[in-house]
Amino acid sequence: MPRTGLLKGTLDLLILRTLELEPRHGFSIAERLEQVTQGTFCVRPGSLFPGLHRLEGEGLIRGAWSADDRGRRIKMYELTAAGRRRLAAEKKQWQRIVRAVAQVLGEA
Amino acid sequence: MPLRARLAATLRTLFRQSSLDRDLDEELHTYERLLGDRKIAAGVDPPAARAAARRELGDLSLVKADVGAARVGHVIETTLWDARYTLRSLAKTPGFTAAAILTLALGIGANSAIFSIVRAMLLSPLPYRDPSRLVFVWSDMSAIGYPRAPLSAPELKDLRDRTTLFDGFGSVWSTTAVLNGDGEPEQLRVGLVSTNFFPLLGADAAIGRAFAAEDESTSAPRTILLTWSLWQRRYGGDRAVVGRAIRVNGQTATVVGVMPSDFRLLMPPDSAVPDDLQAFVLLNPQALVRAPRGQQYLRVVGRMKRGVTLEEARGDVNRVAAAISKEFTEYGANGRVLTTVGLQADGVRQIRPVLLALSGGVGILLLIACVNVASLLVARAAARARETAVRLSFGATRLRLLRQCLVEGLILAVFGTVAGIATGWAALRLLLVLRPDQLSRLDSARVDATVLAVTIATAAGCGILFSLAPLVELRRADPLHALQADGRRAGGSIHYRMRSALVLVQIAMSVVLLVGAALMLRSFAALQRVNPGFRSEGTLTFRMALGPRYQAPDAFNAFGRQLEAALASLPGVRGVGALSHVPYDTVPNWGGPYLSRIDQDESTAVMADNRAVTPGLLETIGMDLIDGRFFTEDDDQRRDLVVIVDDQLARRSWPGRSAVGQRIASDPFSTGHARVWATVIGVVRHLRHRTLLEDLNDQLYFSERQVRRNPVAYFVRVGGDPAAVSAQVKRTVAALDPELPVSDVRPFDDYVSAARAPQRFSSLLALTFGGVALMLATVGVYGVIAYATARRRYEFGVRLALGARPRHVTGAIVREGARLTALGMAAGVVIAAAVSRLLSAQLYGVSPHDPVSYAATTAAIGLAALLASWVPAKRAVAVTPLDALRAE
Repeated sequence: MPRTGLLKGTLDLLILRTLELEPRHGFSIAERLEQVTQGTFCVRPGSLFPGLHRLEGEGLIRGAWSADDRGRRIKMYELTAAGRRRLAAEKKQWQRIVRAVAQVLGEA
Repeated sequence: MPLRARLAATLRTLFRQSSLDRDLDEELHTYERLLGDRKIAAGVDPPAARAAARRELGDLSLVKADVGAARVGHVIETTLWDARYTLRSLAKTPGFTAAAILTLALGIGANSAIFSIVRAMLLSPLPYRDPSRLVFVWSDMSAIGYPRAPLSAPELKDLRDRTTLFDGFGSVWSTTAVLNGDGEPEQLRVGLVSTNFFPLLGADAAIGRAFAAEDESTSAPRTILLTWSLWQRRYGGDRAVVGRAIRVNGQTATVVGVMPSDFRLLMPPDSAVPDDLQAFVLLNPQALVRAPRGQQYLRVVGRMKRGVTLEEARGDVNRVAAAISKEFTEYGANGRVLTTVGLQADGVRQIRPVLLALSGGVGILLLIACVNVASLLVARAAARARETAVRLSFGATRLRLLRQCLVEGLILAVFGTVAGIATGWAALRLLLVLRPDQLSRLDSARVDATVLAVTIATAAGCGILFSLAPLVELRRADPLHALQADGRRAGGSIHYRMRSALVLVQIAMSVVLLVGAALMLRSFAALQRVNPGFRSEGTLTFRMALGPRYQAPDAFNAFGRQLEAALASLPGVRGVGALSHVPYDTVPNWGGPYLSRIDQDESTAVMADNRAVTPGLLETIGMDLIDGRFFTEDDDQRRDLVVIVDDQLARRSWPGRSAVGQRIASDPFSTGHARVWATVIGVVRHLRHRTLLEDLNDQLYFSERQVRRNPVAYFVRVGGDPAAVSAQVKRTVAALDPELPVSDVRPFDDYVSAARAPQRFSSLLALTFGGVALMLATVGVYGVIAYATARRRYEFGVRLALGARPRHVTGAIVREGARLTALGMAAGVVIAAAVSRLLSAQLYGVSPHDPVSYAATTAAIGLAALLASWVPAKRAVAVTPLDALRAE
């Protein structure tokens, strides 16, 4: 479970964002998220894998088996074109929410 | 998500399940390894690092389940899983499965068969162009006993000339004609139609043409239009016959065309225009406009203008009727009353309530079937209460369990539907084989796409309905309670209450159906006891028309006497007589008004059925002479007209006095006026000769030697099987004149049993429904009592161990069944008493509240229910107390 409660749908956004620059495998996605948020979000396999498979099923990311540096089979995920479009849309939406919430908090 | 991607993902989920699972496994293990690697890199001792990684990943199966649930197509996947589970468990309990499917097959099959009939008879439009604009016009002469009488030619002309809201009026009438040449002579049923009759219906000939204006001229050659079946049978489908002259009634007529094979003439059943006419000739009413207005024989069909409502059309016709009532004195004080009815509605006037009652019956049957299956499913749910509780406590959602129930119900419904459609198809075939002749229109009933669609929709509705029954229990299921209590008793009382309520409903509905069946049977029995006033057994009948050679009275009577004498001399023949109309035959009635006083106004004269008889008929068919004498061979063309009346006419006309010697004016030659005076020489008992049910018209009998009706039917009474003499009879006629057509050589009994056939048919149907309902209800009672008994085995074991006598235990169980049955029967009797009067039109000689029917029904259901509860009760005490307690 994340140490800060994730808003519904936020996990999808974070996974898509993590894959924006390069394909990653499951563990690497979790590690990257934890690093970037300095430990605020810690995604456990119980949430990560259902999320990944759902996104894959929706065609937003694509999983493919490849070999790691030691030649072992590993499943790498990359964004699809639909995934990129969704990420861009989600980002905008998220920024609007952040601005709106910030305004409310600023006024208070 | 694009539809294609979703579809692909769904298919992957459904069909690549195992490879998806393997992939996920590998992914998770990689995750675990990498997590361990990182911990080692951070300086943790390798074995401890691996163990920590495994712990952190948690229960892999839970993760996998979550991933599975997140996949697209998951709902379908679990549904398929439920379906597989259901199929497996159905296969494991063949008794339950067979009972459920058989029950549904009966319920659904009966509905699909009856619905296909209802559709063919009530819902399908008549096979004519724009049939909703067609109306039938009756002359309402209720005042003198004929609420539905035909019209006269001048009246048809009045309707054509004076109405404004109609495109036209046509007329039809039926008669018989003799066809000579091209093989054996035969008698045809011929429709006499107006020139515009077929165009008015929107029907045309398939080969050649229908009638046209040029055929009307008196100088034009006679024409005839054949039906497809006659053309096929007699002329072998030879197109060259069109345009050829054939011999009809001794005169030539040119065949102008052949009607299409699917053309049906569907006039109201009591219009005396049979469905099976074989040819049509023109009856040009134009030439008859000067005929008397009392000469009524035209069956008039009108076509309303587009957009005109039946109400408006009726007003238009009524206006004309009111006008002619004032203009023409022959209508007298009553005037002319015309009734305008939709052709389709009028055609099904009599069959409609029967079909609606049948639909109600099969509806109830289906409901009983559904209740049975629901009850079976509730029992299964009860048996699985512990499993359900376990699944709930392990986190299965109620939605998931609900879906499983629905899947189970729908799978049963699917099997039931397939079996039901097959049953329905077979039932319909059987019905069509058994159907009485009068219901020939049933033959168009088919299990077609619409019937299938309605059946499937009904079945799906039922499936949802009965799969919801166990859900009521599921909603209440409390895992803690169920798990704490012993599984066998979990939720028992609730299930039992629910099932008891279902069985109660079942018994009540079976009572309703069985009361209906009992009433129909009692009516049929009453009908069997009806004395029609004649004897039909051991008698052969045939119809024969004399040709133009016998025009002269002397020749006509000489032939009649000669034929009767020749027939009477055949070995084994005990009596020979002739009658103008075989009772219950479909030929048009012959009747007219009569006057029993000189000063009587003809417009208020009562109508009588006219019949012509020969002297031998009295003995041959066993008529009952009450007063005076019967005809003798002396009552012929050389004497004054004499007449015999029925007792009903005698009582009406000369109450308290003898009818013999009285004078009566009637219309034996169908002139439209009762102007022929005759002396009454005898009184016979009223014959029920048109229907067995009620035959209330007064009757006038004339001597065939004086009125010379042609054709007439001959009756030949023999000692044994009448069919055995038919060949001899035909030879006898041919020996006298080979040109004469002998038709409908049949036992007299055939007509009588055909007259009883509709009632026999509906009693048979009602009895079948009642029997099936009784069976299903018995199974229902048995199921619920057997279940309750099995559940209380422990209790019975204890009681027996403590010294209770087996019969006390048995008694307690049977009492339980009896209580349920009594409640259900009480409710059923109340409902039956309320709805049975809907049947009253179908009942004969029995009240809808006939106590015998109710008593018989309650006795039958009571006995069946007692037996159904006694069997499990006996079984409950057959085990030793020790076994019962051990099994717990």
